[in-house]
Amino acid sequence: MKILRNSVCLIIILSGTTQAQRVLRWGADPSGGAPYVYTDPGNPERYIGYEKEMVDALAAAMDRQAEFVPSDWETLVSALQRKSFDVIVNGLEPTGDRAQQIAFSNPYYIFQLQLTVRRDDNRIHSLDDCKNRTVATLGNTAASRLLQQQNIPFRSYEDPVGAYRDLELKRIDAVVMDVPAEAFYARDNPKLKPAGPPFFKGYYVIGLRKGDDALKAEIDKAIEKIIQNGTLEQILKKWKLWNDAQVEFQSSIRTHTQPTAVIEMTNATFNWRDALLRLTRAAMYTVLIALGSMIIAVVLGLPLAVGQWKGPSWLRSLCTLYVEFFRGTPVLVQLLFLYFGLPVLGIAMPGMLTAVVGLGLNYAAYESQVYRAALDAIPKGQWEASYSLGMSSLLAFRRIILPQAFRIALPPMTNDFVSLFKDTSVAFAISVWELATAYRELANASGQFLLLGVIVSLFYLAMSLPMAHVARLLEQRLRDRSTERLEEAEVAA
Amino acid sequence: MIQVTNLTKRFGSNEILKGVSFEVPRQTILGIIGASGSGKTTLLRCLNGLETIDGGTIACGDVRLEAGISHTDYKRRVRDLRLQVGTVFQHFYLFPHLSVVGNIIEAPVHVLHSPRKKAEGEAFELLDSVGMKHAARRYPESLSGGEQQRVAIARALAMHPALLLLDEPTSALDPRRIASLRGLLRGFVEKGHTLIIISHSIGFLDGVSDNLLYMEGGLVVEHGPTDQVLNSPKDPRVKEFIAQAE
Repeated sequence: MKILRNSVCLIIILSGTTQAQRVLRWGADPSGGAPYVYTDPGNPERYIGYEKEMVDALAAAMDRQAEFVPSDWETLVSALQRKSFDVIVNGLEPTGDRAQQIAFSNPYYIFQLQLTVRRDDNRIHSLDDCKNRTVATLGNTAASRLLQQQNIPFRSYEDPVGAYRDLELKRIDAVVMDVPAEAFYARDNPKLKPAGPPFFKGYYVIGLRKGDDALKAEIDKAIEKIIQNGTLEQILKKWKLWNDAQVEFQSSIRTHTQPTAVIEMTNATFNWRDALLRLTRAAMYTVLIALGSMIIAVVLGLPLAVGQWKGPSWLRSLCTLYVEFFRGTPVLVQLLFLYFGLPVLGIAMPGMLTAVVGLGLNYAAYESQVYRAALDAIPKGQWEASYSLGMSSLLAFRRIILPQAFRIALPPMTNDFVSLFKDTSVAFAISVWELATAYRELANASGQFLLLGVIVSLFYLAMSLPMAHVARLLEQRLRDRSTERLEEAEVAA
Repeated sequence: MIQVTNLTKRFGSNEILKGVSFEVPRQTILGIIGASGSGKTTLLRCLNGLETIDGGTIACGDVRLEAGISHTDYKRRVRDLRLQVGTVFQHFYLFPHLSVVGNIIEAPVHVLHSPRKKAEGEAFELLDSVGMKHAARRYPESLSGGEQQRVAIARALAMHPALLLLDEPTSALDPRRIASLRGLLRGFVEKGHTLIIISHSIGFLDGVSDNLLYMEGGLVVEHGPTDQVLNSPKDPRVKEFIAQAE
């Protein structure tokens, strides 16, 4: 009891002091974020990384308390503008397009890019060899802008881990990444090798809201201070990020001379013609995923339904298990499992196929329940009439029960298909270039969240509305067939 | 034609049929009467294999169905039995997704593997004989109860059963139709069919069945020529039943 009271007092005192001190809230994406900032593998409660240590040093220099706000790389800029935190410290490159939205501190690091390929690959030695290959990088980075400028088609990933893993699994041919991340995630991988020397030189800066001039001055002063007093050098050495470029860069700061290195700056290019073209292509993928997975769902749903409905008890529980598993877990998790988990067992499917199979397996569970309800709705007399005409169970099922059940199942199946169409958007999680991915990337590159959002919604509507219409027609035809035939007969008479 | 010997059927501990025996000679009609719960319908369902029998035998043509044989053997014999026995259910159970002709040729084409053309030719003849040829291309839901019954009869006959079972055939008919159904059924007997009819309507059976069988409590109480059962029943319970019916 006494210990408890003491610790409560301690907490109050501690929180009192933090509140008294000013905080520096900084945002970064810790998922796959090594060596910048990431979850400590030894203690999941803690974040580590060279930028984490650097921010702590900066905060100390500013007499502030650093407070980390885990965020998402793609939305860092908008999160900063929404005041989720005060600064972005995440290996941020000062690009022309970002300069229109946010302000930058003075640089604190010079980074380069590295191209990585599989060890047995002798085709690719530089970016020039990548024109007809599948290249991957992180979305919305200097690397992605560089690839865009050089007209090299690329797939963008959420984090380096996924990109390098897909490279190993031959889903892609090469990865371009900032050297710090490359050194951490790929350098020691025996299956991969660097293709050519590092290239491109750029700055990392800290991002601030426009107008936060006082904070910018404070940050710039702190950056200079930790460079002058060697703190940053120590941190970078500790993380093996110290190199000639940093030596030159830091000495120019210490001596207040202009750095001699030529710094390149990337810029996102955005034009509407290109964007619409890419959206159309993405829409085609969306249609393909939806159609492919619906075929799987419709076909696989039937044995599941029958197994659960009339099968022996072991089969029934097996089918129930399947249905409950796929209905009870998020489709997103299932997709991630198929994409990242299955390769561990030696099954590596490309992203597109994974999306089709994943959504197909998921929706099969739903279709089976639609079928089961429809089959249950057929009166027992239909079976008995079939049997009494000498039909076997299978024949009765195929010729008498199934066609009737299909008519009952059609409206809910249509519903499911429309919702499947929208669910294709989860494929963005495994970097399939479908509409949602296209929206996110184009919007992040251009800042046109609103307009592109409206356009993408129109794309979805343009695809799902006709489908709902066709399904309604089909339904009506099945329902009206008897009366239609009646009219035909009367005309004939 | 069909010989039933000591047939028993239980649902759990509830014995519905307690040893039923009777015989139906070829080209005759047997009417089965009895109050609700007497076991008539269960008996009918045993005769076409929809219920598994617990004891006794059913012999029909060269098929002999008996309790106590292996499951696969029993299943095979039930299928053979069903090819001998056609059923017209009280609620007909026409296939709603098939036209009238489609209903009739379904089993001949897919069970007997008759050529479709031949099956259709026969179907039209059968429809003609039940007076439904005009409705051949219509769908069941557009037919009246009486019309549906005629289609159901034609559907059963398309399999050329030696024995035809009818469950409450008068329940969907008005009096004028009942008279014409009677003529239709007698016509089938002339053509060589044997019929078993379950009915509440003693009046209907009076003019159509050769023999009558009265059931009560899962037992055959009286079985004999129709005239004899109706006019001079031996058992007082039959007398009472007939008196109430009138």
